[in-house]
Amino acid sequence: MKLTRRKLATALVSATALAAQQPQPAAASDSDLKAARDRLQANAAALAGTPIPMATEPAFQFKA
Amino acid sequence: MASIGTDTFFATLPQLNAALKAGEFSAADLARAFSERLQQLGPRYNALALPLPQEALRQARLVDADLKRKRYRGLLQGIPYGVKDLLAFAGQPTTWGAKPYAGQVFDYNATVIELLSAVGAVLTGKLSMVELAGGGGYRLPSASLTGPGLNPWDRTRWSGGSSSGSAAAVAAGLVPFAIGSETSGSIVTPASFCGVTALRPTYGLVSRYGAMALSWTLDKLGPFAHTAEDCGVILQNIAGKDSKDPGSAGKSFYYTPQYARPMKDLRVGYAPADFAEWVEPATRPAFDAAIAVLKVSGIQFVETKLPDFPYSAALSTILNGEMGSIFEPLITSGKVDELADKPQIAGLKASLELPAKDYLRAMRLRRLMQAEIIRIFGTVDVLLAPGRAGIASRIDQPLDRGAGGTPPKDPGFRSIIPMGNLAGLPALVLPCGFAENMPVALQLVGAPFSENTLLAIGREFQSHTDWHKRRPPS
Repeated sequence: MKLTRRKLATALVSATALAAQQPQPAAASDSDLKAARDRLQANAAALAGTPIPMATEPAFQFKA
Repeated sequence: MASIGTDTFFATLPQLNAALKAGEFSAADLARAFSERLQQLGPRYNALALPLPQEALRQARLVDADLKRKRYRGLLQGIPYGVKDLLAFAGQPTTWGAKPYAGQVFDYNATVIELLSAVGAVLTGKLSMVELAGGGGYRLPSASLTGPGLNPWDRTRWSGGSSSGSAAAVAAGLVPFAIGSETSGSIVTPASFCGVTALRPTYGLVSRYGAMALSWTLDKLGPFAHTAEDCGVILQNIAGKDSKDPGSAGKSFYYTPQYARPMKDLRVGYAPADFAEWVEPATRPAFDAAIAVLKVSGIQFVETKLPDFPYSAALSTILNGEMGSIFEPLITSGKVDELADKPQIAGLKASLELPAKDYLRAMRLRRLMQAEIIRIFGTVDVLLAPGRAGIASRIDQPLDRGAGGTPPKDPGFRSIIPMGNLAGLPALVLPCGFAENMPVALQLVGAPFSENTLLAIGREFQSHTDWHKRRPPS
C-alpha cells in the first residue's frame, strides 16, 4: 500500500485523538504520591507545634 | 596447614589474626575459603551484590608476603571483609542497590576501603542493600536490585535494611566483618534482626568519601562484626580526619579497653516502658534476662525520659530535603521509575516539593534537640533500649503498616533511632537472646565520641553471655 503524507498525517492525528479518548491506566503511584505528600505535610504540622527562638540557627555547618 | 572449617568462618578478629600469624593457614587460603563461601551462600540470602575473588586473592598474596617478612599491620591484616554496595571500589560496579545505577563504575576507592586496604584487610565482595538506602520510604523488603534480604536465621524473614547484606553476611559467617551505613536505623535494624554486633559511630568520625550520599548531615558508616571488641578494632582502623568528607569531625579513634571505667561507675538511662510495654511480648524474657546480666555487672540503672520533641518528623523532613537535592537528576530524568518499590519512587518524587521553610525549621529544631539531648548525658553515661521492638518481619509483610493496637502512654525511648541520628550519637547493637528462634538485640546509645564506653559495656556483656556466638542453621 502506498502511504501518502496526507494519509500519514490523518493516521497520526487519529491515533493521538484515540489515545486521548482512551482512559489512561491509573498510575500505580498516584495514591503512593498522595501518601508521600501527606507525610510531608504531617511532618510539617508536627514540627510547627514546637516554638523555636528567633536566634536559633539551623544545625548545619559551613566551613570557609 | 590446618583446614579452614566452620569455626574459622565464625572466628573473631583476634582469633583469625593469631591463626594467620601462627601459619595455621595463609591469607590467600583464608581469602579463597571466604570468597567461595560468600559466592556459594551469599545468593541464598540475597546478600551478595558483587563477588571480588580475584581482587581478594591478589591482595591476600601481598599480605602473605608481608607476613613472611614479619611486617605486621595490626589485627585486620589478612582478614576478609565485605562492604555495602554504596561504597565506591575502583573499576567495579557500585549499584547503590538500585536498577538505575546498575552500570555505575567509579574510578576511585572510598576512603574506608583505602584505609582497610592499607592495614591489609582483604575485600572479598560487595554486599546487597535496599535501593538508595531506602531514603524514599519503602513498603516491602523486595525494594532492592538483589531482591529481599533474607535472614540467615529464617529465610522467610527479612534481614533488615538498609544494610541488609552486611548484617546477613556476618551472621551467616560469609565474612568476618562488613561495613554498612546508617542514616536512620540502617545499621541498628539489620544488626538487631540478624543477631550480629554492630556499631554506628558518632557523625563525622568515619569518612563517607566515596559513599552514596543520602543525607549529608545524617549519613554515617560503621562496622558489623561478631563481637564488640571486633567493632572497636575495625573502628580504630576506619576512623579519622578526611579532608575529602566535608562532614569529617577531624578526630581519630583509639580502641582502649584497658582504660575502661569500672562497670559500677557507669549509669545507664532506660525507660521501663520500653521493655514492659513497647517490645513484643515474646521478646520480653530475653530483654529481662539481658538487663539482669548488666545489673549483675554493677552498672547502675536510672529511669530516664527523652526530651519531648517530634524526632521522627524532624528526621524525615531533613532527610527528604537533602535526599531530594541529591537525587534531583534521577527524579527529574524519570529514571526514578525504574526503582523496585512504588512508595519509594513516590517518596523521592514528593521530596522535591518539600518547602525550604520546613527543612530549615527542622534543622533549627535539631539545634534545640541536640542541646537537650546532650544534657541527658550529664546524668547518665549511656542510654539503653531494645534494638528493635520485635523480631524480623516476614519478607512479604509491608514495612509501613502500623503496629496496631493502642500505643503505650509512656513514649519511653521509642524515638531513640531518629533521636540518636539527629544528634549524631554513636550506638552499639548487642545480640541479647532469641524469641521464636529469631535474634533479639539491645542498643546502647552514648554521647558523641563515647564509643569506648559503649564498647566497654558491650565487651562486659559479651563476657557473660554467648548470644553473639550463636550460629544460624546451616
